[in-house]
Amino acid sequence: MGKLRPLVEKEIKDLLRDPRIYIGLIIPIIMLPLMGFAISTAMSHVGESATRSLKVTLIDHDRTNVSRSFITLLDNLGLKIMEISDESLLKAIEKAKASGSQALLVIPQGFGESLLGFERAKVEVYSIVESIGMSSIGAQSTVNKILDASSEILSSMLISKIAPEAEPEVIRKPLNVTGYTVIKDRIISAPLQVIFGQLVIGYGIMIPLILFVLSIIVTQIAATATAIENEEKTLETLLTFPVSRYEILMAKLLGSSVIAVLGGIMFTLGFLLYFQGFFGFMGQEFRVEGVLEVLPLPPPENYALLAISLILSIFFITSLGVIIGALSSDVRMSTSLLGVVIIPVLIPSLLIMYGDIKNLPLFLQLLIYALPTSYPMIMSKEMIISTMPPEVLYGIPYSAILTLMVVYVTSKLLAPEKLLVLQYKLKLGRRKEKMKVRK
Amino acid sequence: MLKSMAIEVKNLVKYFGNLIALKNVTFSVDEGEIFGLIGPNGAGKTTTLRILATLLLPTSGYVRVLGYDVISEASKIRSLISYLAEDAGIYRNLTGYEYLSIVARIYFESKTDAEEAVEEAVKLSGLGERITDKMKTYSKGMKRRIQIARVFMTEPKLAILDEPTAGLDVFHAQYVRKIIKEYTSEGRSVILSSHNMLEVEHLCSRLALIHHGQIMALGEPQALKNKYGAPNLEDVFMKVVRAWGS
Repeated sequence: MGKLRPLVEKEIKDLLRDPRIYIGLIIPIIMLPLMGFAISTAMSHVGESATRSLKVTLIDHDRTNVSRSFITLLDNLGLKIMEISDESLLKAIEKAKASGSQALLVIPQGFGESLLGFERAKVEVYSIVESIGMSSIGAQSTVNKILDASSEILSSMLISKIAPEAEPEVIRKPLNVTGYTVIKDRIISAPLQVIFGQLVIGYGIMIPLILFVLSIIVTQIAATATAIENEEKTLETLLTFPVSRYEILMAKLLGSSVIAVLGGIMFTLGFLLYFQGFFGFMGQEFRVEGVLEVLPLPPPENYALLAISLILSIFFITSLGVIIGALSSDVRMSTSLLGVVIIPVLIPSLLIMYGDIKNLPLFLQLLIYALPTSYPMIMSKEMIISTMPPEVLYGIPYSAILTLMVVYVTSKLLAPEKLLVLQYKLKLGRRKEKMKVRK
Repeated sequence: MLKSMAIEVKNLVKYFGNLIALKNVTFSVDEGEIFGLIGPNGAGKTTTLRILATLLLPTSGYVRVLGYDVISEASKIRSLISYLAEDAGIYRNLTGYEYLSIVARIYFESKTDAEEAVEEAVKLSGLGERITDKMKTYSKGMKRRIQIARVFMTEPKLAILDEPTAGLDVFHAQYVRKIIKEYTSEGRSVILSSHNMLEVEHLCSRLALIHHGQIMALGEPQALKNKYGAPNLEDVFMKVVRAWGS
């Protein structure tokens, strides 16, 4: 019977039943869909209310047949128009506000003359902002859309008047631009804008974000699990069992990783549900597989490299979590020390998510490539649209060596002699800092 | 390899930074003996036991446990001993049965041996049906019982017990003392520390009085009482401390 197996079993059972751990795992799967639902409900309500009760106040200084026809056109397009008589702008704004209008439209004198003379006719729009909310922005956006639509209708009428045979749409847009996107050796019959959202959100942000969250969860779990051993005084007993420090560490790494992967799955599910809710409102289907349908899948060896890189990254970050936990006399201390690890991981992750690594300054590139946690993020981002960059391939042996070194150092640290001294020094340092703050 | 002695300590010195915790401590424990270390808080009892349990390294001196050196042969020692820390915690979310089962699987190669050991330990703990409850629901006495059961379940050649009955009520304390006594009747050794002089007097065949990291007196309880003309070990201890001070 292997000694590692019961130790791993102990880790998993103890962690999964700990409310400090399982609540953290359950929260994303409950909170993220709720957030998505809340945002989509709020947004759809905004959309509905914007179109339902879109009211504008209008002053017609022109009072020609053309301006009257224009007002009728706006009315037909869905604007509820409250026309007021000729008076000062400030008074008109007051009246518009009092009537609950979202905007005041002013048709200046000469409007009809300009249109009939084939010149641009001016219309002034005074947007009334009563609150800083999505409903206010939604209303203004709808007013603008109606004005754009009316402008297009007027343009068609003018074109038909000049050239009755011509197609107004051709005059307005004489170029028929057909967009294709070339990714790897595949030509996709869709412009980049169409698939860009899925590429950027799916592979550029979502997968690195999930990997980042996985890193955070795994560090937190490993640190908490080890700090609990210190807090509950079980580590001392564990270290007198006939098992090597290496086996104790491996059990912690494996146990924490299993829980973190569970947490990662929960987060991914929660995140997908969040996006379903969010994009559902926008009338877009959020489908990562949409890109996969048109793109060739990366070769299996790339997935193998990604898996190796991910395992190395998890072991690296878990070891750091164990170090933090081992140095902490209790969970509270480990939570405050976690920031020391999470922030250096967070910065490169954000750079990978939102930036192009090659265009970054050298020191930021070095920071990214120095961390084993960066490699699976870069791989997942690059492998779908390009061949695996060589620096990423070199990163695997580098990550392996660094991870082995960290695991070795961590296993050496799991000795009460060293831990006691380091915990004492840490406590002393924190006490000194507190004294300084008080002074 | 010396087999007749369970523990052999000569001129043991331990420093924590500039602080000296143990000064030339010398004593030995025979196989089948219950040996007691008594002294006030901070005397050096726990440090001595932690060195014997291979948790701490001696700064200097000669320390052998069951014939093995505590520095170079620590892993061999760990498979032969069992250690109970004074404030040994429990895994709050495991049941008592799960905990014993996990420890048994670490110590025993065969599944059958591990299962038999767990069954014995369950009986030894005396927890009855509560053994399947999570340990966070246990009282202090129950937690100590499960730890004592864990210590003896592994059939160690040497049990190192730091304050085994500290904080326990009279019923739990008596139960633990009974188990310790039964255990050594099988030829195994125990070294324990305690504040409770009466407990040490009843349990231990020999003891060492330790104060400020030094052994001040060593011998059988009765011999020490005779030597210092004291009716009990508490008075022996007080006389030794005073004599040492003067």
